[in-house]
Amino acid sequence: MDKLLNTVVLMLEGSEITLEIFFVTLILALPIGMLAALGRLSTIRLLSRTVEFYIWLMRGTPLMLQLLFVYFALPMVGIMLPDITAALLAFSLNYAAYFAEIFRAGIQAIPKGQYEAAQTLGMTPAQTMRRIILPQVIRIVLPPISNETINLVKDTSLIYILAMNDLLRVARTIVQREFDMTPFVIAAVFYLAMTFVLTWGFKKLEAYYGKYEAEG
Amino acid sequence: MGNTKQKDEIMLKMRNIHKAFGAVEVLKGIDIEVKRGEVLAIIGPSGSGKSTLLRCINRLSTIDQGSIDIKGQCLALTKPSGEVEYARPKDMRKILSCMGMVFQQFNLFPHMTVMENLLEAPMQVKKMPREEIQPLAEELLKKVGLYGKRDAYPAKLSGGQQQRVAIARALAMEPDIMLFDEPTSALDPELTGEVLKTMRELAASRMTMVVVTHEMAFAREAASHVIFMADGNIVEQAPPEIFFEHPREERTKAFLQNML
Repeated sequence: MDKLLNTVVLMLEGSEITLEIFFVTLILALPIGMLAALGRLSTIRLLSRTVEFYIWLMRGTPLMLQLLFVYFALPMVGIMLPDITAALLAFSLNYAAYFAEIFRAGIQAIPKGQYEAAQTLGMTPAQTMRRIILPQVIRIVLPPISNETINLVKDTSLIYILAMNDLLRVARTIVQREFDMTPFVIAAVFYLAMTFVLTWGFKKLEAYYGKYEAEG
Repeated sequence: MGNTKQKDEIMLKMRNIHKAFGAVEVLKGIDIEVKRGEVLAIIGPSGSGKSTLLRCINRLSTIDQGSIDIKGQCLALTKPSGEVEYARPKDMRKILSCMGMVFQQFNLFPHMTVMENLLEAPMQVKKMPREEIQPLAEELLKKVGLYGKRDAYPAKLSGGQQQRVAIARALAMEPDIMLFDEPTSALDPELTGEVLKTMRELAASRMTMVVVTHEMAFAREAASHVIFMADGNIVEQAPPEIFFEHPREERTKAFLQNML
């Protein structure tokens, strides 16, 4: 029993880095993704094409490769980042690209009539975006954002290749040392618990932002 | 005397309006003039250019040639070089702010309640404090008979109710000219009556209105002037009693026969 408790404590410590990667990535990637979406939709061609290239690059290569690149290749050109910063940089840029495409689709789903109504009422493009378009976009993008966020919980385990002691790496270390599979089961329970909380949270958010819809 | 002058004030003047979408010319030199308190009804088959003409008035569409004056201020003119020049952004905002518009698809803001829809533009654009605009908004909602629905979201309302809210929303900005783009075309037949009633009351209150419509009864009863458009041209125009009783053009006669 003591041994099990000890394992759980060790893994809770490992969860700390997992949660840190998760939250910081989310906090950075959402605004970067929104800016990228606006850039992608910009009429300034150079901006739009640059963002398009960035999205293609980030979605077109494995996150694992991007992590290795930031971790091993950047120091070769003289850019030394602390481990955690390197990981956060790769994660944020990668997830921002996915979020950007989700936001872009959300913005484009808003009917033209909403812009015209706001325009005829004298609202500026910035007011229209902030007051009329984005609040409706949030409702549309919540389900796909929820999907990506759950992916992120699990993708955090990729940092094991950077030798950081996240939840999965701690579990593996214990398994290899003690020839006991229990830590894997505990890790699964931890991931499931995080996903459960997220699913619940997004359900609440969807209900809140969807309160103006006809049914319910 | 001052009163007469006010009554004769020209609110909208469009001269020689041309507009093409690619190679398709949809407006082929249109002239219209609307005085204060007049209701101009624009009718015609679909594809005749009437909605495009209406959208040119408040710059939802831009013109390729011609001039537009709103209340004596120049919104757009054609320079001798043939290039169309619009008013500078700041002047343009001011000119456009005296016009309100009602759309075929209502275009209410779905994430806001009825009351919030009315308060949004006055508070954001005119920076009016809520307590200053709320009384007018309440009065407008009572006028269109939807005060009881002030806290409902648009999705809970019928099409007719939504369109009446849209009218109230435009009026909350206290425009001098109201533009209607087929306001009843998206409605079930039994719901058009309530919207037309609101529009008749608005016309009776001497609001200057330009109405693109398929409702012949409305044009006949509420309009002070009727324009029939086809293929980007004005085919015929007259006061409603003359227009509907004694149309001159064959094209008009055929159209009216189909509609009535």
